[in-house]
Amino acid sequence: MTSFRDIFGSHFDSEMSQRPTSVLAACVWIPLFPLRCEEARHEGLAGYSIALLAPDTTRKLWQVSPHARHTGVKPGMTVSQAIGLCPTLRLIEPDPVHYDEQFARLLSALTAVSPVVEPAELGLAYVGTAGLEGIYGSAVKIVAAIKRTLECWNVGMSEASSFRLGWGAGKFTAWVAASRAKRSEAIVVPIGEEQKFLASQPIAVLPLDPDIHRRLRQLGIRTLGALAALPEEAIAAQFGSVGRRLWLLAAGRITEPVVGRVSPEPIVAALTFFTPVGERELLSHSLDQLIARALRHPRRIGWRVHALRLRADLDGSGSWLATILLKDPSADAMRIAAPLKIRLEQSPPTGAVERLVLEFTAFAPGTAELQLFARDAQAAARAGQQRALQSAAREIRMRIKRSSLYHIIEVQPWSRLPERRYALIDYEP
Amino acid sequence: MVAPARAPLRIDRLRAVNAPKPVVLELDASGVLSVSKVGKIEAILETWRIDDEWWRQPISRGYMEVMLEGGKRLVLFQDLITGEWFSQMP
Repeated sequence: MTSFRDIFGSHFDSEMSQRPTSVLAACVWIPLFPLRCEEARHEGLAGYSIALLAPDTTRKLWQVSPHARHTGVKPGMTVSQAIGLCPTLRLIEPDPVHYDEQFARLLSALTAVSPVVEPAELGLAYVGTAGLEGIYGSAVKIVAAIKRTLECWNVGMSEASSFRLGWGAGKFTAWVAASRAKRSEAIVVPIGEEQKFLASQPIAVLPLDPDIHRRLRQLGIRTLGALAALPEEAIAAQFGSVGRRLWLLAAGRITEPVVGRVSPEPIVAALTFFTPVGERELLSHSLDQLIARALRHPRRIGWRVHALRLRADLDGSGSWLATILLKDPSADAMRIAAPLKIRLEQSPPTGAVERLVLEFTAFAPGTAELQLFARDAQAAARAGQQRALQSAAREIRMRIKRSSLYHIIEVQPWSRLPERRYALIDYEP
Repeated sequence: MVAPARAPLRIDRLRAVNAPKPVVLELDASGVLSVSKVGKIEAILETWRIDDEWWRQPISRGYMEVMLEGGKRLVLFQDLITGEWFSQMP
């Protein structure tokens, strides 16, 4: 958690307040969540080969139904490729706002079971269950309570949208359990049996990038047990800090807690156009106005914006959504607008916009000084470079066990003897 | 001298930059001078002399910048007290 220092030198956390956490975790997973949402609202769609177009570019497929997969259609394909393989394929325009709302509804339902709910991605959420034994009883009963909640939430959704549930110590164990569970069923990993459970699981359950996955397979490592059997240092030497984390996960040595959300009170600014607007310049100008209006909101004073969302209701029934998480929270209108304008340029709404809504959804504490420094683009760039250098130095030291980076310092720059002028000193970020 | 942030300055962690490297100069039968394991000297471009620290341990060096066969430039100096040869960046 990032810590800041105020103008009087006191530390405070970047979060708005202390977040509730729980080591005991239940994982709720609904695969292909956006596609399931579409199946739920378009009756009879479930039996067809369907594909959802990507929200950023409508030329490629985002999610593909199992029927379509059987014909060889895969996510990432272009529309022409997909139609070539499956002429009966039904293409659906994405409606990210709808998926977001459905997922928010799911999270809201889960908070009825536990106050500690952490969304991971659309269709994947963790529920902290520590302390619920007094209400529901054993882990199996807690899972049953979550299951009942999901069944109530699932009313109206298609049969295929069934969830998978996993329970265990830490988010990773819970996720692996959910990923191995059958449709509408749950796997409970008893406390103390995490290592035994994880050992037989394939390495694909790890959060791997394709390159590491390929390298592990080339090394003949197929299961988490095989990975955990190797020395931790050897994995760290090969794959760096990422490898160490993978090893710890595979060996069941780390139990990442579920971190509940502090319900933010978003600041919302909206603009309804008299006639639908398609010109990007006008949208960009409207965005500037919305940001300025939201920044002036009294609740914003003393806080910098960390996360924001811009949604557009399109002419007809579609919608467009851009969610931005600012690396450096800011109260500067230009810095807030920049990533949204890039999104508007790169993947603009697919139709004319009827209504534009800006929401500041998360905040970080801010002081006048911090904001002053944030406006200094050069200082921010220097700080970014320094952070990148520190990260690289840590990675090198972890891999080769010694520092190979040095500062050059002036010793006697005026000396007539060249070897007296400068010296190297270990660089320790 | 200002120590970099977070790096406490300790003298044992300092490493010299551009320390002289001992070299052997050879003169063959035809009178051509060469630097052992480096190459033959084609031309001497410049010479200069440094005398310093006479008040403690005197340093006396005769420098010369040479061009090697193939065009590479190198700076050599002779320790005029011990007679040893070194190469060093200028």
